[in-house]
Amino acid sequence: MIDKLKDNISKFSFLTPSLVALGLVAVFPVIYAVRSSFYSWNLHRPAAREFVGFSNFVKLVTDYTYVNSAGITLLYTAITVGSTMILGFLLALLLREPFKGRNIVRALLTVPMIMTQVVIGLNWRVFMWEPDYGLINWVLRLVGIRGPAWVSSVPYAFIAAAITNIWFMTPLVMIIMDASLASFPQPIEDAAKIDGASYWQRIIYVIIPVLKRTFAFTLLLRITIDFRMFDIVHVLTGGGPARTTQLLSIWVYNQALRVSDMGYSNAGAILMMIIISIICSIIAYFGLIRGGERA
Amino acid sequence: MSNDSKIKTKTPGYSEFKPRLLKYLKFIAIGIAVFIAFFPFLWLLLTAFKSMGDIQSLPPKIIFFPTLDNFRVIMDANFFRYLQNSLILTFSAVSLSMILGVPAAFAISRLKIPFSDGILFFILALRFVPYIVFALPLFLLFVERGWVGTRYGVVMSYILINLPLIIWLMKGFFDEIPKEIDEAAEVDGASRFQIFSRVVIPCAKPGIACVLILAFIFTWNEYLFALILAGRHAQPLTVGLTQFLGGIEYGVRWGALSAWSFSLVFPVVTLSLFVNKYLRRGFTGGGYNK
Repeated sequence: MIDKLKDNISKFSFLTPSLVALGLVAVFPVIYAVRSSFYSWNLHRPAAREFVGFSNFVKLVTDYTYVNSAGITLLYTAITVGSTMILGFLLALLLREPFKGRNIVRALLTVPMIMTQVVIGLNWRVFMWEPDYGLINWVLRLVGIRGPAWVSSVPYAFIAAAITNIWFMTPLVMIIMDASLASFPQPIEDAAKIDGASYWQRIIYVIIPVLKRTFAFTLLLRITIDFRMFDIVHVLTGGGPARTTQLLSIWVYNQALRVSDMGYSNAGAILMMIIISIICSIIAYFGLIRGGERA
Repeated sequence: MSNDSKIKTKTPGYSEFKPRLLKYLKFIAIGIAVFIAFFPFLWLLLTAFKSMGDIQSLPPKIIFFPTLDNFRVIMDANFFRYLQNSLILTFSAVSLSMILGVPAAFAISRLKIPFSDGILFFILALRFVPYIVFALPLFLLFVERGWVGTRYGVVMSYILINLPLIIWLMKGFFDEIPKEIDEAAEVDGASRFQIFSRVVIPCAKPGIACVLILAFIFTWNEYLFALILAGRHAQPLTVGLTQFLGGIEYGVRWGALSAWSFSLVFPVVTLSLFVNKYLRRGFTGGGYNK
């Protein structure tokens, strides 16, 4: 009995410091956020803090700016995740057969993902999307199109924010797909080849179904990254013009630091967490648990 | 994608020509992808050394007389103070997270811990929570304690980002090491700590390198927590960069912006190119592949 206890203490001495740290910096703040989401609490008038129940949440779902941000975030996530999944997978297919310099190509293709997001946002804003001196409008002028004032006009700001993100995140999908294609069981594909399946048939009917779990994992990862997107869009457009790029993270940030309404902004963040948990659970259920036997 | 139609239309005489054509198309596609991916970094490299006049000239100048003016401007904007903050924050957050995370991953992977599935799920779930959900309450808690604007506060938030990643990935790497090795060591009378430090850690060196690189890159690039928690005095390079965007008096300071950006991304991009294999393993390890 005492031995068992001693054994458990020694086991947990490896794990406990981490769990305590996570409890302090992760769990405690979330509990704190949940609690303050039930209060009306303005930083400028801290004395007037009072319990208001669910009224912050009721206010949220009737607040045009929040619902708008939620819709924009979902649209933005759908577009960027969809595009990066397709582009990343196609890139991985291109790299599948060995060729000279393949590893250099892989390395160069990962650069966007490694670059600091703030640097990406600011430099795309200043050097790419700038209406007069920017490279994108310059290229468009070369082919005779007058480009819009990208980051300051509707709906181009949204398009610019999406394209910048697609550039940034396609490498992540490519890397994951590249690795899973490399470990793909060759006999399965050879069998399909002998049966006369064409290249694209093999990909659609053999490779993709077998890699279903990898796709589900990548999808989860990508959705969570874009759903919480802040850095790139915050410096690229600041959420404007006319709130058309105000993603949920930016809404919460603005609400908290400009309006200083802490109860309300915490409620916004908590609701955001609830939305993403529901989305993730659905994907995990259909992609990983129900389709799990495949792997 | 255009290959699709070509495979299906089997015109006689075309079939021998087809594989070669496809191969060329493939390399053109790869070439375009590499150009698009790498161009912005290249552009930054060039722009950082351009004079103001050269920066705004269109078509862009590929050949120009390089100047260090932009770097002088960023020196005057306290570049080194921000660099010092970035280095201290990154170094302390990554090392603390590794010290905490690697043993925890070992415990989850090797020792039969009760509720280990639950713990693992909790750690994975933390990686999926939007950062702003943590950032706001941390700000409020730190305001109460006067920690906003200190490096301690920022480091704590960085541990929050790094620790789940490190535990999750290291657990994957530890799982790959055959369990028989520890059993052999145990038979030889090694204690649990000795198995960890003398047997498993040396075997997991590539994995540790990989996790270190990833944690370093993520921490170095972090912006949101620093923006909210760093106040004025603990700001890292990422937050400092936004000063060049403007204000009405200056407008965008293009040269300084690119010099600062270049200094910020150069270390991580170079590192990523040199250790790319490790890096890719980091992104694909830890269960995406299973």
